[in-house]
Amino acid sequence: MLINHRRVLQFPALLFLILIAFPVFAENAPSSYKPVTVPNPATDLWRAVNPQQLPPAEAAMFPGGDSQVQGVQSGVLINQLGQRWRHFRMGQLLPTGSYLLAGAMLAILLFYLIRGKVLIRDGESDKKIERYSIYERLIHWFMAIVFLFLGFSGLILLFGRSLLLPWMGPELFSALASAAKEGHNLFGPLFLLALVLVFLKFVIRNIYQKGDLTWLLKGGGIIGKQDVPSNFFNMGEKTLFWLLIIVGGLIAISGVVLLFPVFGQGRDIMELSHVVHGIAAVVMLSVIIGHIYIGTIGMQGATEGMTSGYCDLNWAKDHHSWWAQRCIDEGKVMPKQQGAAVHHDNPAPAEAEK
Amino acid sequence: MIAQLIEGPLWYFSLTVFVLGVLWRLFMILRAGAKKDLAVPRDGGGAGALRAIFSRFVPERTVRRHGKVQLIAGYMFHLGLFALLFLARPHVDFFAERITGIGWWSMPHWAFIVAAEVAFAGLIMLWLYRLLNPVTRLLSSADDYVGTVLVFLVMLSGCLALAQSVEALRLIHLLLAELLLIYFPFSSLMHAFTFAFSRGYTGATMGRKGIRA
Ligand code: HEM
Repeated sequence: MLINHRRVLQFPALLFLILIAFPVFAENAPSSYKPVTVPNPATDLWRAVNPQQLPPAEAAMFPGGDSQVQGVQSGVLINQLGQRWRHFRMGQLLPTGSYLLAGAMLAILLFYLIRGKVLIRDGESDKKIERYSIYERLIHWFMAIVFLFLGFSGLILLFGRSLLLPWMGPELFSALASAAKEGHNLFGPLFLLALVLVFLKFVIRNIYQKGDLTWLLKGGGIIGKQDVPSNFFNMGEKTLFWLLIIVGGLIAISGVVLLFPVFGQGRDIMELSHVVHGIAAVVMLSVIIGHIYIGTIGMQGATEGMTSGYCDLNWAKDHHSWWAQRCIDEGKVMPKQQGAAVHHDNPAPAEAEK
Repeated sequence: MIAQLIEGPLWYFSLTVFVLGVLWRLFMILRAGAKKDLAVPRDGGGAGALRAIFSRFVPERTVRRHGKVQLIAGYMFHLGLFALLFLARPHVDFFAERITGIGWWSMPHWAFIVAAEVAFAGLIMLWLYRLLNPVTRLLSSADDYVGTVLVFLVMLSGCLALAQSVEALRLIHLLLAELLLIYFPFSSLMHAFTFAFSRGYTGATMGRKGIRA
């Protein structure tokens, strides 16, 4: 019988590797060696600079050392809070974030299956009303492009290591992650710009008014089938707007804190900003998924206002009946065949918009 | 293999197409010549041409009022792009190494990033305006969209390669820039050069007629 010498040698080599790779096995294995403790001369140093080795009360007071390097917290060699932040990111943010996003998509799917597409009750009419000027549509789509780019690149940074790396391999993933990081950093401030432009243009019409709560309590005419009147923006849209301003604002400001570490912020502030940034972004993405659904496949006639600038009269009557009535009274309804307007802003904004 | 192609032959090919293409287009424009004067000219054309070339940088009042978005976004994009292209450290180094042999002043990194942001904001807004305004949408041809998309992709790939640590990203940026160079002379992107000719021609014609235009 031929003996495969390689195999014979491979077995003990493998065993040896297992033993050194897993100290647990090695420790449990019966051994006649007595461990010799060789003190590491650096141990005391690392113990001295690591506040985690201290009792909690003393750790909290740990002053940090002196360093030649002039910078924020440059005297702190081991960041005590770093571990806590890392555990939060890996153990809470990642799983909760993924459940939230998956939950939002599932909820939309269920809504679609149960409610179906929200159709215009009397079907499309042959009349239209101008709903958004070119500038309003421009800043909306500018914000949408920037937000979606940031959303995708941010999700790659958040979930890429666990979702993409295993099947992409390290080479491709490192290129993608590097690209996502640079793109995310560069587009971040553009979101702040978009937020300011959208805020200035849309804020007046998004102030809550009488009747908004009734709209909400009656399910916005979307959940039930009854007619629920509303103004230019309904309660749902107003809430989206304020979520965008507050939660989106938090994303943008925490992003700026992370992007420009030149205002004296230390690691603690950076960690806090990262946590706020991550949570707020996942929340906002979940909300926007719903917005995109209802703005496209979820509702007949919704997209047109934001693309062509005009909405169908019957759509307006269904979803913004007070506003539609005002437009009718003010003679702003026109036949659909009439040429597209090129107004650079709404022609008679103030009264009709409310 | 692909990397070598992008770094070497394709770069020289695209540069040659760009230079020869631009020269040929300009030559054809000059060869077309000017219309003969039907009356005795009141003035020389030179002053009118110069005035039109520069005065058009500040648009007329009605355009200023009704085309604010295009005006602001247009300036944002062009100034941002110009700064990016000619004053960003990696580009200056590239020009010095491959074309000019000497380098020049480059912006600090933060200014480079600001220029990129401004250029991106301007380009996206200009593109959206083109799509959303029914008039500009009607006037736009496939060439306009191809030009916009190519320029956007070159800028985007450059920004994605900013870490300068992944060779593949830099090569994608270079490849897209090469495609842009090849496309440039045969597209409306030529306005980067022809704007001076068209403005100058109008200005000279008007100048000879004695009109300040
Ligand atoms: C592909 C993506 C998107 C689509 C199809 C879409 C569609 C729409 C539509 C159709 C409207 C008008 C609704 C109406 O006339 O009542 C609208 C409004 C709006 N959208 Fe979007 N949208 C998208 C992405 C986004 C994103 C990413 C954001 C923010 C980050 C956003 C923020 C808004 C805001 C603030 C309004 C005005 C609502 C208000 O002020 O209350 N949209 N969108």
